[in-house]
Amino acid sequence: MARGRSPKKGRSAFSGLSVVASAVLLFIVALPTFITLVVGLLPSMVAFIFDRSPGRTMARCVFGLNFSGVAPYILELWLVPAQTVGGATQQIFQPLALSIMYGAAGLGWLLYLAMPPIVANVLNLSAQRRVGELRKKQRTLIKTWGDSLIKEVDRSGN
Amino acid sequence: MVEQAEDQEQEVSDGTSQAPVMDAPGGGTSAPADQDDVTEDILEISTGGKSVEIGNFRIFLDLRMPEFDMGHCKAYSADNLRRDEGSAFAVVTDPVLPTRHDHIQFLTGMHMAGQIDLIDHEIAYWPPFGRNTMVLFYEKPSGGRVVLGEGKKPIIDEHDISTVVVEPIIGVLQAFADKGLAHRNIRAGNLFFGDPLRQKVVLGDCCAAPPGYSQPLVYETTARMSADIAGRGAGTPADDLYALGVTLAELGIGHRPLSKLSDQEIMDLKLSKGSFQAIASQERLPLILIEPVRGLLCDDAEERWGFNELNAWLDGRRTKPVQSNTEKRAARSQNLSGRDYYTVRALAQGMAKNWVSALAPLREGTIEIWLRRGLGDNDRAKALADAMRQLQWAGADKRSAEDVLVARAILIMDHEGPVRFKGFSAMIDGVGYMLSYDVQHGRGPQRFADVIVRDIPSYWFGRQEGYSSEVQKLQQLYKNLRYYIQQQSAGYGYERCLYTLVRNQHCLSPLIEQDYVVEISQLLPALEKAAENASEDTWPVDRHIAAFIATRLEDDIEGQLMAMQNPSDEVEYSRAIISMLAIVQWRHGPDNLQNLSHWVARLMEPAIKVFHSKARRERVETEIPKLAKRGNLVELYNLINDEQERRKDQSEFVEAVAEYSEAESEVFDLESSGPARLELAEKVGQQAAAFASTMIALLTVSALFLIHIF
Repeated sequence: MARGRSPKKGRSAFSGLSVVASAVLLFIVALPTFITLVVGLLPSMVAFIFDRSPGRTMARCVFGLNFSGVAPYILELWLVPAQTVGGATQQIFQPLALSIMYGAAGLGWLLYLAMPPIVANVLNLSAQRRVGELRKKQRTLIKTWGDSLIKEVDRSGN
Repeated sequence: MVEQAEDQEQEVSDGTSQAPVMDAPGGGTSAPADQDDVTEDILEISTGGKSVEIGNFRIFLDLRMPEFDMGHCKAYSADNLRRDEGSAFAVVTDPVLPTRHDHIQFLTGMHMAGQIDLIDHEIAYWPPFGRNTMVLFYEKPSGGRVVLGEGKKPIIDEHDISTVVVEPIIGVLQAFADKGLAHRNIRAGNLFFGDPLRQKVVLGDCCAAPPGYSQPLVYETTARMSADIAGRGAGTPADDLYALGVTLAELGIGHRPLSKLSDQEIMDLKLSKGSFQAIASQERLPLILIEPVRGLLCDDAEERWGFNELNAWLDGRRTKPVQSNTEKRAARSQNLSGRDYYTVRALAQGMAKNWVSALAPLREGTIEIWLRRGLGDNDRAKALADAMRQLQWAGADKRSAEDVLVARAILIMDHEGPVRFKGFSAMIDGVGYMLSYDVQHGRGPQRFADVIVRDIPSYWFGRQEGYSSEVQKLQQLYKNLRYYIQQQSAGYGYERCLYTLVRNQHCLSPLIEQDYVVEISQLLPALEKAAENASEDTWPVDRHIAAFIATRLEDDIEGQLMAMQNPSDEVEYSRAIISMLAIVQWRHGPDNLQNLSHWVARLMEPAIKVFHSKARRERVETEIPKLAKRGNLVELYNLINDEQERRKDQSEFVEAVAEYSEAESEVFDLESSGPARLELAEKVGQQAAAFASTMIALLTVSALFLIHIF
């Protein structure tokens, strides 16, 4: 058991370490991008912290759409020849930008909430249709074989 | 009934012809008035007068021929419609007494010097009885009856008896013996002159009643006389020779020997003195007849005169002297119920008559001591001691064991005598006729069942000395009877024993009893007739018919009888019945049995259930009326017994059941997996959402790059 769990733990630790190393590297090399990412991906970070479910599907949901909202501003930042912390701060703290980034994160969260009921409905409908088909088949069998079929099924069941 | 028959026999022997012998089945009692009316109608319709046509004969009901009455059976004048010469008469048998099959088969159509010619026999409706019975057609003996009446001078001179009587009778007895049969109806009252000059006699009927049934007691050997009248047994030629001896005595003295004594007195006298001495002490036998009568009336069958001795006597040669009484007499008596007995046979008879009081001397050992000390018969004493020891091993049913002890003791005392058990008394070869008599005369089969269940015949077989193929055959037969009587289901029981033991026993099923069905080929036509008025809920095969078919049909129907053991299994029960009837029709016809087919068709509902498929059932239901209309039971049976179709139906049904069960369990799984499905949906939904989110992110980044590049 301990041996089974250790590679996963090791991978997770490695993954966390690589994220921290990337963040440190990004902080040293491109501080404006780092600031944009930290502020823009704040909902994802919160989600990653609080989502303890296996696979962290909620965090992944939030991150995917949150990143989609942040990506245009990162690209815009990279297109300016001289990247400054001020420019990045000014850009990021505009209400529209924040709304887009955090709204996208919210949409990710909503997607996470909405998807299971939709899937449940699809599965239920499929099961109901199958039950209907089976009942029809049984009715046909009874029509062909009469009550003796039911008696025999009951007898063999008993 | 027995007494009536005996009385009637007396009248016939006496030559008095004033009283009818048998007016109704069972003898004596007349048919009901309304039955007579029916009779009249039938006669008018069928024959146009007081005559009835049966087979090749026309019988005149108002022309009685009492001089040719055979035993208790009435004789009527008859015309042979196929032959002009000769004159016939008809003997109407009693339908409640079985006739003798082997004798009828042997004698029909055969001329035998010394035996009345049996021209033909038919089973036909007899108006005075209002039912079917067997009618025997005999050639009229031209010389009339030999014994005309009590007190009348004998027609045959004592010096002519050897040529006129003995010679022809020896020929008959030898012919019977060659066939392994015994006549068992030899008596002076059953002798006729075969020619107008009265130079030779012929023996009368021996087919119309059970063996020895019509014989007065004096004509029966000491071994057989204590049996009930119907259970005297088929007997052997030695019994016929004994009867011939009494016949000679009667012809010699001019009246029946010991006729002034009652049956019980005759029995006692014969047991105490021996047969010859009993007659010789009471009657004046002609000197010329003393030697043959002494030889023929020897009570030891081994010592009794046979054909060689008789022929030697006829030729005038001397024969070996015979000891007339071979029964050992005890030095002191054995008392039972206030009466003293000196011989074992007399004591056996006394024990049978005093069943309850016979147990005490047996238990106290007084009879054993009497056997040892009084008779010096250690073998019998030892056998009795063994029987007593076995009583001590008896379990809970002490009373039954005591009855068996008495029965065994009787057989030890008189091993040649009848099987006796609590009032039942029949020779081992007459048990079947006794059963038939009991069943048809209101006594029921219980006495017979008691004898067989308690295995009394096996004690009888155990007491026989030497090897006899006949005894071996009987022993095997009784083993089967015990098995039959122990089975409770239809096709077994006393009914099976009855038809097994008595070949000419007609089927006693209430459905067809009146039709006097003796042969299996008569069964279906009789049922066809019964089907006209059959109630809807009765089956055409009851216990009697099942047993009758099982005995008379050549094919093995044990499978069907097994299926009939459980009437609650309607499908198998009805299939078994239809199968049985179909086999009978296939074997013996007739081809068209519309009424019976409709009856069977009505009862086929359970058999249709043999098919599971509704379509097949509907097809069978549509087919049944069509086939019933054609009157073919075989086709009806094949319809429900198409093996290929049944197998197909069965395998398809099994598949359908499996299919239905699978569907049912899948439905159950689907209906009961709601929470699991929700769990699954949540997991799958979340994963799908994560995937979708990741894909959106990838697409957004890709799109932004593409926009920037282009």
